[in-house]
Amino acid sequence: MSAITLRNVVKRYGAVQVVHGVDLTIDEGEFVVLLGPSGCGKTTTLRMVAGLEDVSEGELSIGGRVVNNLAPKDRGVAMVFQNYALYPHMTVRQNMEFALRPMKLEKSVVDKRIADTAEILGLSPLMERRPAQLSGGQRQRVAMGRAMVRTPKVFLFDEPLSNLDAKLRTQVRWEIGKLHQRLGTTVLYVTHDQVEAMTLADKIVIMRDGYVEQVGTPEEVFAHPKTTFVATFIGSPAMNMIDGRIESGRMVAEGISFAIPARYHVSEGQAVTLGIRPSEIKIAASDDAGALDARVEVTEYLGNEALLDLRIGRHEMVAEVPAADRVEPGRTIRVRFNEAALHLFDAQTGKTLAL
Amino acid sequence: MDKPSTRQAILVYTLLAIILIVFMMPIYLIVSSSVKPSPIMFQKPPAFIFPVTWEHYVDLFTMRPFAKFIMNSLIVALGSTAFSVFMGSLGAYAISRIRHKRINDVAFWILSMRMFPPIAVVVPYYIIFKTVGLLDTPLALIIVYSTANIPLTVWLMKGFFDEVPTALEEAASVDGYGLVETFWRITLPLAAPGLAVSAVFCFIFSWNEFLFALMLTGSEAQTATVAVMSFWSSDAVQWGRIMAGSFIILIPGVIFVLTCQRWLVRGLTMGSVK
Repeated sequence: MSAITLRNVVKRYGAVQVVHGVDLTIDEGEFVVLLGPSGCGKTTTLRMVAGLEDVSEGELSIGGRVVNNLAPKDRGVAMVFQNYALYPHMTVRQNMEFALRPMKLEKSVVDKRIADTAEILGLSPLMERRPAQLSGGQRQRVAMGRAMVRTPKVFLFDEPLSNLDAKLRTQVRWEIGKLHQRLGTTVLYVTHDQVEAMTLADKIVIMRDGYVEQVGTPEEVFAHPKTTFVATFIGSPAMNMIDGRIESGRMVAEGISFAIPARYHVSEGQAVTLGIRPSEIKIAASDDAGALDARVEVTEYLGNEALLDLRIGRHEMVAEVPAADRVEPGRTIRVRFNEAALHLFDAQTGKTLAL
Repeated sequence: MDKPSTRQAILVYTLLAIILIVFMMPIYLIVSSSVKPSPIMFQKPPAFIFPVTWEHYVDLFTMRPFAKFIMNSLIVALGSTAFSVFMGSLGAYAISRIRHKRINDVAFWILSMRMFPPIAVVVPYYIIFKTVGLLDTPLALIIVYSTANIPLTVWLMKGFFDEVPTALEEAASVDGYGLVETFWRITLPLAAPGLAVSAVFCFIFSWNEFLFALMLTGSEAQTATVAVMSFWSSDAVQWGRIMAGSFIILIPGVIFVLTCQRWLVRGLTMGSVK
C-alpha cells in the first residue's frame, strides 16, 4: 500500500495557480525529496500534505484514506519546520510532551518515548532548557525529536537544514539519513539543495513553476534528465548546454559538430539543445583528429579537481579535469567530448529526445 | 560608552530627583493631608511636622459605607477588565490572523468606538439602562467601561498576536491540536505581556472613571471615585476625608500594576523560530 498518493493535485490562490496537477505516489518507508528552486511549489505541496493548505483540486490520500478535508491533527503526520517552530515558553521536554499529549498515552509510555528519542538525538543533557538557550543545531534536533516522539506514519521536512551552517548541515544531513534507515518511516522532504536530495532520497521529485519536471531515483535524474531544466539543475557545476540544429544526421552548432548517438530520435533540420556534463569533457592529445580546439579563459583549482572555463568556437563551457591536468589560462588545448554521455533535447520544448 | 564621571552622575541624579519631586508632590499632599488635623490643614507655610491623626480615615468608614463603595469599584473594574481582555483578545486574534483586504477597516471601525466624547453618550446610556432596569447596578458600569476597553484591548493585543509566529500554531495543529487549544496553549501564553498591558490599561480606566459612574449610579452601585466627591458639598468641603479616600483609591491601582508587572517582559517568543 502506498503511504501518500497525490492525484492531479492543484493549488490556487484566487486566480493564481501555483501547483498544477501534481501526480505522485510515495511508497511506505520511502524517502522522497521534493527538489526545486524557490517558488516552484514544493513547499506548498508539502503543506497540502500536512493539511496546512487546502487542496484546490485533485485527491490527496495518506495511508489509503482520502484526507483532502481532514484537519492537520487528524492526518497522522509529523512535520519539521524550516524555522523549527519550537514552543518558546516550554522546555525541550515540554515541547516533546506537548506533541504527545493529544495521543492520550500512559505517563510511563510518554516518559519512555521521550527518553528514547532524547537518547537517539543526543538531547538528554538539554531536556530542561528552553529553545532560547539552545544553538541552531540543537534546536534543529529538538524539532526532529518533537516529530519523532509521535512515531507518525509520515514525516514531513520543510527545508530543515537551511538555517544551519555548512559543517552542521552535513552532519545533520547524515543524521537524518541514519534516522530514516533506523526508523523506516515514510519521509517527504523539501529542499532546494541538490546535494541533500541526491544523498538522502530514494526518489527525487524535481519541480519547476508548479509542475513536476521529473520523478526518479538520484541516479536516474542525474544520468537521464528528461528536460533541460533537470539537466542544468542537477549536478555541480551545471551541465553545459549548446543550441544547434540537425544537419545531415549530425548535430551542428557554430564551430562544432557531433554525430548523434543512436539512442536519440531526431529529424533533419530540427532545433536541438546539446548537453554535456563538465566531467565528460576530456583533455585530448594534440594530434587527436576528432578533438576540438578550446581556449582556457579561467582555471579554478578545487583540490582534487580543477574547473576550466573554456571557449570552444563561440561557446563558453566548463570542463572538470583532474587537478594535475590543469592548464594555465590563456593557452589553447584540445578537448574531446565523451559522446556516450551526450544529452540531446528538443530546443523548443526542452524535453529529451532519448527514445 | 565611557564610564560616566562623578559630575555627570550628580547631574543625572539631581535631574531625576527634581522630576521625582514634581511627580510625587501630589501624592505627598494627599498622604500628608489625610493624616493632618483639620485646623492646620491650610496653615501657611504648610506644616511639615504635625501630630498625626487617623480621624479622617475613621470618619470615612463610619460616617459613610466607604468599604462598600470600594467593593463596588473593585467589582466594576475587575469585571470590566476580565470581560474586556477576554473579548478583546478573541477579536484581536481574529483580526491578526484573518487575511482579508478589508480587515483593517474592521479594526479601525472597532477603534472608532473609542472616539466618542463620553459625555455625548451619557444620556442615551441613562435612558437605556433605566428602561432595562440596570440603573445603579455594577453591571451597567461594566458594560459601559467594556465598550471603551474592548477596542483598546483589540488594538493592543493585535500587535502582540502579530508577533507570535504562525509557524508555532501550524506546528501545534500538526501535533494534534485544534484551533481553540492552539490559541489557549500556544498563542495566548506567548502574548502574555500584551494581556498584562491591556489589563493594566483597562483596570486603571475603569477604576478611575468618574463621569459615567456619577450619572449611572445612585446609592447602591456608587463607586469610590464618586463617593469621594460627595464630601464636596455646597456648604462644606471635607478635605481630610477627600484626601483619605483618595489615598485609599490609589492603593489597588498600584497593587494591580505591580502584580501585572512581572508579565511585562520582552522577548517571550525568543528562540522559537530560527
